[in-house]
Amino acid sequence: MKKKKQRVAVFLLLSIAVFAAACSPSPAPAPVEEGKNNLVSADAAQEQKGAKEAGPAYAMNPKAYAMEQALMDQLMPLPDLHKGERIGALIITLANPFWVAMKEGYERAGAEMGVEVVVMAAPTEGDTKSQLETLDAMVAKGYAAIIASPIEPFNLVPGVVRANKRGIKVINLGPPINKEALKDARGWLDGRITVNFEEQGALAAEYIVQKLGPAGGKVAIIQGIPGAGQSEGRTAGAKGVFENTKNVEIVSIQPGNWDRNTAYNLASNILQAHPDLKGIFCANDVMALGVVEALQAANKKNDVVVAGVDFIDEARESIQRGELDGTVAMSPFLLFPRSGATSRW
Amino acid sequence: MYRGRIWLYFSNIFHQLLLVFVLLVMVAYLSSASPFFFTWNNFRNIFDHSSLYIILALGITFVIAAGGIDLSVGAVAALSGVCMAVAMHSGLSVGLSILSGICSGAFMGMAGGTVIFLFKINPFIVTLGFMSLSRGLALIVTGGIPIYGFPKSFTWWGSGHIGPFNPPMLLAAFLIVVAAVMLNFTRFGYYTLALGGNEEALRRSGVSIFLYKVLVYTLCGVTAAIGGLIVTARLNTAEPLAGWMLELDTIAAVVLGGTSMKGGRGTIVGTVIACFLLGILRNGLVILSIPSYYQQLLIGIIILAAVIFAEVRARKGLLGFNKK
Amino acid sequence: MFGCAQKKDGSQKSPYLRLKKIKKSFGHIVALEGIDLDIYPAEVMALVGDNGAGKSTLIKIISGVLAPDSGEISLNGTSYRHLTPSKAVELGISTVYQDLALVDCRDTASNIFLGKEPLKAWFFVDKQKMIKESEALLKKLKVAIPSVTTPVEDLSGGQRQGVAVARSIMQQGRMLIFDEPTAAMGVNEANRILKLIRNLGDEGFAVVVISHNLHHVFSIADRICVMRNGRLMVDCRTENTNLEQIVGFITGPPQLTKTHTEKELMPGCGEDAGNVQRQDMVIF
Repeated sequence: MKKKKQRVAVFLLLSIAVFAAACSPSPAPAPVEEGKNNLVSADAAQEQKGAKEAGPAYAMNPKAYAMEQALMDQLMPLPDLHKGERIGALIITLANPFWVAMKEGYERAGAEMGVEVVVMAAPTEGDTKSQLETLDAMVAKGYAAIIASPIEPFNLVPGVVRANKRGIKVINLGPPINKEALKDARGWLDGRITVNFEEQGALAAEYIVQKLGPAGGKVAIIQGIPGAGQSEGRTAGAKGVFENTKNVEIVSIQPGNWDRNTAYNLASNILQAHPDLKGIFCANDVMALGVVEALQAANKKNDVVVAGVDFIDEARESIQRGELDGTVAMSPFLLFPRSGATSRW
Repeated sequence: MYRGRIWLYFSNIFHQLLLVFVLLVMVAYLSSASPFFFTWNNFRNIFDHSSLYIILALGITFVIAAGGIDLSVGAVAALSGVCMAVAMHSGLSVGLSILSGICSGAFMGMAGGTVIFLFKINPFIVTLGFMSLSRGLALIVTGGIPIYGFPKSFTWWGSGHIGPFNPPMLLAAFLIVVAAVMLNFTRFGYYTLALGGNEEALRRSGVSIFLYKVLVYTLCGVTAAIGGLIVTARLNTAEPLAGWMLELDTIAAVVLGGTSMKGGRGTIVGTVIACFLLGILRNGLVILSIPSYYQQLLIGIIILAAVIFAEVRARKGLLGFNKK
Repeated sequence: MFGCAQKKDGSQKSPYLRLKKIKKSFGHIVALEGIDLDIYPAEVMALVGDNGAGKSTLIKIISGVLAPDSGEISLNGTSYRHLTPSKAVELGISTVYQDLALVDCRDTASNIFLGKEPLKAWFFVDKQKMIKESEALLKKLKVAIPSVTTPVEDLSGGQRQGVAVARSIMQQGRMLIFDEPTAAMGVNEANRILKLIRNLGDEGFAVVVISHNLHHVFSIADRICVMRNGRLMVDCRTENTNLEQIVGFITGPPQLTKTHTEKELMPGCGEDAGNVQRQDMVIF
């Protein structure tokens, strides 16, 4: 029993190493963690730029470093690593830069820990069925454990149940798998590190509100694919903040389908209807970057605050150039590019 | 049974006239509903957004008129955008990079047309394969991460200014004229329509089916690549997933415009009007702050209505000629 | 031999196309057993015979779709071992198929000029020229069409056949082959087509008509050839024979009567003719 728990802990650690920026204290056994989100804005980016020149990347954010340290301490001592063990990781899609970075993170962490990590993904961000089929194939291959990030809360449930039946550990990372649905299907998760999407949306919205100042103004939200967990969660979070702030009015909520060109068109259309628009929250960075292009084309970049989520490389550079205003980051791997952070693991 | 030439002409363009009427009603309604709709800036937006759809739809008009279909245009647009980006980042000049992207689009079209002709496979399946193939290539080349940051002379193609217009609009206008002349006044256009109408007749007339079929798909690949140029330049980013589902939007516009899925009938004017109609619908619903779920619903209803109307008219001779 | 073809007397014209000892078999089945046949300009020749007599095989050899096993085809003084479809079209041999192969949704002028559109300024199709020449051609063929800009799908069966014929002529057809032109047609339609075919003969084209309808054949043909079991049984001028005789040649062993036709069958066929007569069979 003890050994089993330890093994779960190894897998969890692997996940956390990739994913969690920081974590609130919680007991190591039966761990259910929630990753904290960091806001990255133009000001922080300046800070980061300076830090980069100075030394190791992670040195510049002591708070995050301290939290990571605390997490590691909780998990210590590390159980014996089972060399050569194979772990499967199911992410959402390799067509999105965020998840591509995640894959690299997994593989790097796997190499560090001496565990073979095989990363699989659905062909596209909306292909829920293929993701389930991929999970089923992974279950059939008999990995020691599978770390799964579902496209939406329900699509992987049957696959998780099948994995349970074969005794494969399943850890839910990132977007949550719906617990009730899983329980109804007599399945369970062996570990869970989820992202609070609402908090991400709220963080970004708070940033926009803060930028607008007491005068407030009109704001718009561009969602991802309607119904997707991240999209709905982030929208709800941002909506809550905007609605509870005096003088801030949501004038439009439109689905941008995670697509840059769609977001571009939406932004220029919304600007027509509301020339006095002050802020746009986008459910991911790709769309936020499309919105930035649209604003620049309309010569309105300086009038509208744009914030996204994910902190992809392109967003970081855009923030450094002073174009994109802010984004929400949730992975230390992404926050501290490549070299510095991974050496810690 | 036979009415005069004028009536015949009217009957031929009746579908397009109806589209114009619907378009005018929409414009009138939106103008009264929102003070922001009927402004030059907003129309500039609509023209800007529609130009991409129009350019892709022009190529698809030829393919559908020739009795085929091309599902690969969105993916080919992404692939050619990625080609341009890679070429530019490897130090090629902007002109040559654009050329390489357009060549890649032409090549995909040519390859598709050749496969369709040689193996006599349904173009739906072949272009579905090429859609996946192009998307896959674009993802492999980029590794899933967009390529960004291009010279000003490249992004000018997406967001530059020429008087009150921008390059995509003028490019679209130019291509509309070229396509209309090609379809209606050249042998290429005649054979495109004959291919869709009766391929066997064309073959017996000693015309090379292979040549013209491949040319039609190549043309479609080229328009897709030009679309890729616009998307990439406008967003200053070459994304492997650019133009997602664009093929369906553009096919819908072409069919809505009155080009027959059975082939043999194609109208550039209809395609352009339909693109504007869909563009205005998208713009109008956003301006009215109506969530775009309704946009999908409305576009679906409009397309179904247009296709049913065209079919009924063809069969029963409603406001057209009595068919045997 | 039951019969053989001879060049009929009274014709001073040289043949447009001459077939010599054409043989063709498919495996063990002999389709054509040495056919000699001349086809003349300004003449409507009807090729009749029961199903499987070899008419279609012969037509396919003429139009280049099939190559004969032996024999030769001469045209304009040149002999060919066999023709290809494109070579046949180049030599002016044009087949009007039953399905007509028209592009229904295109207008009449475009159909007539399909593949041969005149150009102006190197690039553009000269539509005005197409319209003018189509109208002139259809007028010459006495095909009445409301307007050459009407889509072909709005035309009647006879008019469509007229368009198909006009296209054959436009594609430099000098010899036109009709395969069952009146099949599945109403009386009026059929009459119009027959008139059109007769017109073509009068206009100087070499016309070959395959038909099962002997009334139609007798109403238009200058010359009737009967095929049976891969052989050409009879080749005679229409005015020298009658319906009963031809039916007899088609359906049973040849009935040799004292007609002009019979004299033409001489002298090489005399022996065979005698043999047949002795068989004493009645056919009608």
